Amino acid sequence: MMALADLQIPGALVRLVVALAALAAFVGVNGMLLVYLERKVAGHIQRRPGPFEVGPHGILQAVADALKLVGKQLVTPNGADWLLFWGAPVVSFMPVFLLFLPIEFGPGLYGLDVNLGLLLILAFAGLNVVALCMAGWGSNNKWALLGAARAVAQSVAYEIPLLLAVLAIAAMAGTLHLGEIVAKQGSWPWQWNVALQPVAFFIYFVCSVAETNRAPFDLPEAESELTAGFHTEYPGMGFGLFFLAEYAEMIVVSAVGATLFLGGWKGPLVDGVWWFLFKIYAWLLVMMWIRWTYPRVRFDQILNLCWKWLIPLALLNLLATFVALAVV
Amino acid sequence: MVFTWLNIAILAALGLGVAFAGAPLAGSVLLAPRASGGDLRMPYECGMPPHGSPWIRFGINYYFYALLFLAFDVDVLYLFPVAVAYTEHAGWIELVKVCIFLAALGLGVLYFWKKGVFTWPKKIS
Repeated sequence: MMALADLQIPGALVRLVVALAALAAFVGVNGMLLVYLERKVAGHIQRRPGPFEVGPHGILQAVADALKLVGKQLVTPNGADWLLFWGAPVVSFMPVFLLFLPIEFGPGLYGLDVNLGLLLILAFAGLNVVALCMAGWGSNNKWALLGAARAVAQSVAYEIPLLLAVLAIAAMAGTLHLGEIVAKQGSWPWQWNVALQPVAFFIYFVCSVAETNRAPFDLPEAESELTAGFHTEYPGMGFGLFFLAEYAEMIVVSAVGATLFLGGWKGPLVDGVWWFLFKIYAWLLVMMWIRWTYPRVRFDQILNLCWKWLIPLALLNLLATFVALAVV
Repeated sequence: MVFTWLNIAILAALGLGVAFAGAPLAGSVLLAPRASGGDLRMPYECGMPPHGSPWIRFGINYYFYALLFLAFDVDVLYLFPVAVAYTEHAGWIELVKVCIFLAALGLGVLYFWKKGVFTWPKKIS
């Protein structure tokens, strides 16, 4: 009989299992935290206290919300396509953990050492569009269908300037490995990629707001015109899953943005995971601030902003990057 | 070798995602009340009975955007290997090649712009 020590457990497997367990906790806790934070920030921006009743300063509000959502009946609308309707929230949430795996949270603190990490994230982030499409078509509801058509047009449009902005960084670093991109940046803000690529940073930021369907670009669920867009028919936890996936994706875009442009886990004085978390939360707070400050744009404005301004700008930026790399 | 940790990691992460999403749904099935009857399952259309099916053909403004996206996305995909290899082989010939590639992309946008795809309401002949 083999001793326990003789069992060769591969290091990659241990890392993967630990990473997935940690990420499950991270995504769950962050979902709760962001729901609370969003409502609190919204409240204070609008000069009211926000949630205040459940627990001190309403800190248990998110728990109460989650329990309430679980307690709601799962109603499938008449004539809806059952498989598409219930498959959509699951598909929407499915890639979330995979998107976190290649991100380096701290020195050596990553789930998966993959040299195509950036491409992996960008590829699987596209699954969300499929989920929105399924939800809109499967709901047997006109609002949902219109919302889904908008969501797809918007998501695919903003994917292109996002890719072009990311390509400029990838060309500078010469790699798609997120850890190596961090390693090539320094600890001080003027050594980060944002100092060399301010235009790409700006484009990435606008696209990150649009890709996560947040105000002022939350056209797919514009409640003043489309009721709730693609999730009009979703009861309780069906809606909750879309919501949780959206918050998880917000963390992913800010984490990737912090990695590419803001030096990842590197920061002044002491490098470490705290700098990365600080940057992620600063990014998220700015996104919330924008959401509660700006009015929603019209749909032709959102598409034209992308195709007439951001994409030509991103192309020129990429071209300038290539020229600079060839000259230097 | 066919087996790689990347494949296992992708499958495991997707599986965990499905499990994580399925658990609260299962909880809902167990905990939630089971009402039925009345207009409970009627699709929502501002309170009135739905007028016709939503599964119809409608004037899809987004078709041209989808077409343009497809062209762009495939082209941008080719730029990833270029971007990774560029720093090691940056030279004037490579630069000219990249310029031609990006100019073709830019011309695509200009062509659709000229055709009136970005003008709302639609004025495509």
